Amino acid sequence: MAVWCLTRALRSLTVSQPALLSSQAVAQTKLGAQTCVEQCRGFLTTASLEQNKTLWKQKEKYTVKPIGMKKTGGRDFTGKIRTHGIGGGHKRRYRWVDFQRLRYEEEREAKPFDEKVVEVRYDPCRSADIALVAGGSRKRWIIATENMQAGDIIKTSGVIGRMAVSANEGDAYPLGALPVGTLVNNLEIQPGKGSEYIRAAGTSGILLRKVNGTAIVQLPSKRQVQVLETCIVTVGRVSNVDHNKEVIGKAGRNRWFGVRPSSGLWQRKGGWAGRKIKPLPPMKSYVNMPSIAAK
Amino acid sequence: MFPEGAATLFSQAVLVKALRRLSAHGRTGGLQARRHFTTTRCLTGKTHPVRKPKEKVDIPGLERVTFGERKHYMPGLAKPVNPHWERDYKDPRFYRTPPAQEMPLYKEKPCYVYNQRTNALEGVLQALWLTKTKLISGLPPHLLSLVENPANQIPNQDERVQNAIKHARFWDTTENRPNKSKYSNTLLSNLLHVCATLQSSHPAMGRRLFADKYSLAASWQRGEDLLQIKGQNGLLHTCMDPLPEVSGKQEVADTEDHALKSFYPVSPTIDLQKINLYKEVNSSGFRDGYPYPHAHTLYFLDGVDTRCKLRPDQFRAKMVMFAFGNALARAKTLYGPQPQRLLEHPITVQAVGSNGRVFHFLVFQLNTTDLSGDDGIKNQVWLDEDADLYEFAKVRPLIKKKQVKVPAGLTGYKPETFSKFLALYLHGAV
Repeated sequence: MAVWCLTRALRSLTVSQPALLSSQAVAQTKLGAQTCVEQCRGFLTTASLEQNKTLWKQKEKYTVKPIGMKKTGGRDFTGKIRTHGIGGGHKRRYRWVDFQRLRYEEEREAKPFDEKVVEVRYDPCRSADIALVAGGSRKRWIIATENMQAGDIIKTSGVIGRMAVSANEGDAYPLGALPVGTLVNNLEIQPGKGSEYIRAAGTSGILLRKVNGTAIVQLPSKRQVQVLETCIVTVGRVSNVDHNKEVIGKAGRNRWFGVRPSSGLWQRKGGWAGRKIKPLPPMKSYVNMPSIAAK
Repeated sequence: MFPEGAATLFSQAVLVKALRRLSAHGRTGGLQARRHFTTTRCLTGKTHPVRKPKEKVDIPGLERVTFGERKHYMPGLAKPVNPHWERDYKDPRFYRTPPAQEMPLYKEKPCYVYNQRTNALEGVLQALWLTKTKLISGLPPHLLSLVENPANQIPNQDERVQNAIKHARFWDTTENRPNKSKYSNTLLSNLLHVCATLQSSHPAMGRRLFADKYSLAASWQRGEDLLQIKGQNGLLHTCMDPLPEVSGKQEVADTEDHALKSFYPVSPTIDLQKINLYKEVNSSGFRDGYPYPHAHTLYFLDGVDTRCKLRPDQFRAKMVMFAFGNALARAKTLYGPQPQRLLEHPITVQAVGSNGRVFHFLVFQLNTTDLSGDDGIKNQVWLDEDADLYEFAKVRPLIKKKQVKVPAGLTGYKPETFSKFLALYLHGAV
């Protein structure tokens, strides 16, 4: 590809002198030669082609190996800024966290299974710590809970029994199987979709009540959500509890984390500033949405 | 607007200016025209997310009108579907591998392969389960007592060994200090050289040969899984005569009561490569009639392979597995491919692993090749782990708070580690 680009570039340098002109100049010189302006991407070196590769996002097979990734600088695939204030920072590698905790191993029947924690470590891509767990003949990364340590055995079950279970921290159960008042994290909003809520460091939600086939959970923001009782949650509180007490120390340290300074333009304080007293938004219900059944 | 001459002049001036500007930027004008300043930057930006291929609907009895007959593209008409063409000659440039299911070696039942780069999660425990082996820590006492006999000791032993270490760590380089893969390699060959000086008094040592880069392959059935060990690894000391067995018949019979340690919930085949394309081969890496068919000792070096780094436990697991693999390949050629409950003459293979400072010693005895069940006779392994040959070999002294913590040169030499090394070397020759 690169060689092809290079030969193209050289060819246009030497042979096609008329093509060097802008289209207006060509019209005025009356050379009569038809220049064809090709629709192509211009001169791309291998470096710039490499830049476009987002292969790390497109892996199909799960791996526990850290994946190298490119910095986006807050840009999306079109090149526009999607999120302001991102750029620079220490190089990071992505560790693929399996958010669908109740993922049965292939070729094994669907019944509750145990896993062993191999290591708990820092993850640069999120505020919480992550844990490498091994069970059966596979390994995977999950979000670590508060007191998780290497060597622990954690259980994952999809069964809702008649009695509420007494769950240990780090175990994963459907909401319907847990007693009311349990601290939970890694909340799914649709059964089998993978956890989306309560994944940040030190957060936890509370299972408030269970109403005919649904469960109501209070999120860390005190908002309440109603989900199906087959949604899987992890019991306990997410690890790295002291994340909010961490002192950044200096502005430059924030840059190490890839956060850029805000604009600095003086703006008159308006309604956005100051404390606001407003009622909590009403309970959000995810119950009637069509569910993605687990495989 | 302009007279014609002026127009040409103007345009030429523009041309020259444009050319100069372009050459200064090192870009070509043709390419300038190709940049899509008029369209959105989407076209020149990052790659698009992969679009899902459109679903093609085939309605029986209805044929799409294609532009095939017109020989050119026509908007609104469907693209003609050409029949798949296969060249009738072989061209390696355009060779496409068939799907795995159509290959001749494909089998439904998967095989789990252990190779020299396998990083087994559970380490030695997993290796013991896979090989159905009983672990005994420490080397067998009668082996260690070999070295106590003064006839079996090398004159000036400690001095020569220390010189061997110093050669490997300090003298074998033009740099400041040799790197790890170099000095561990040199140290091993130096120690083997020191051991080989005993050949004059022990002529049986002359009936041995070193082999490097031999490829081993052995397969066996464990539980319901088919396992295979494959790979090129270690320096192999081969011998004309088999090693004598280490434990007697009674001890072998006693291993029946030993229960293997389990590591639930982790499966024993974790981290082994699972493949469906395989051959059940069994080869020790040498042809029939090779005059040195018996594996005597395997020497492993840690940290030499830059592609994989193994932690000590995983390294020892590799030693167990490859010692077992050599013994199994030998047993299968001797007793046939059928699993034997109890081998008439157990097969012994030794292994030594080192990273240039720390040594692991291992003696493996293959008692049975019937590995499918967890009961019955087990194999035995004697493992002596983490024996330091010396504590420090510093080119420059370690100074902290203006006090010399570790002086330069070789410190903390431990002669008992070398005597273990020598004992394994002497085994079978005395």
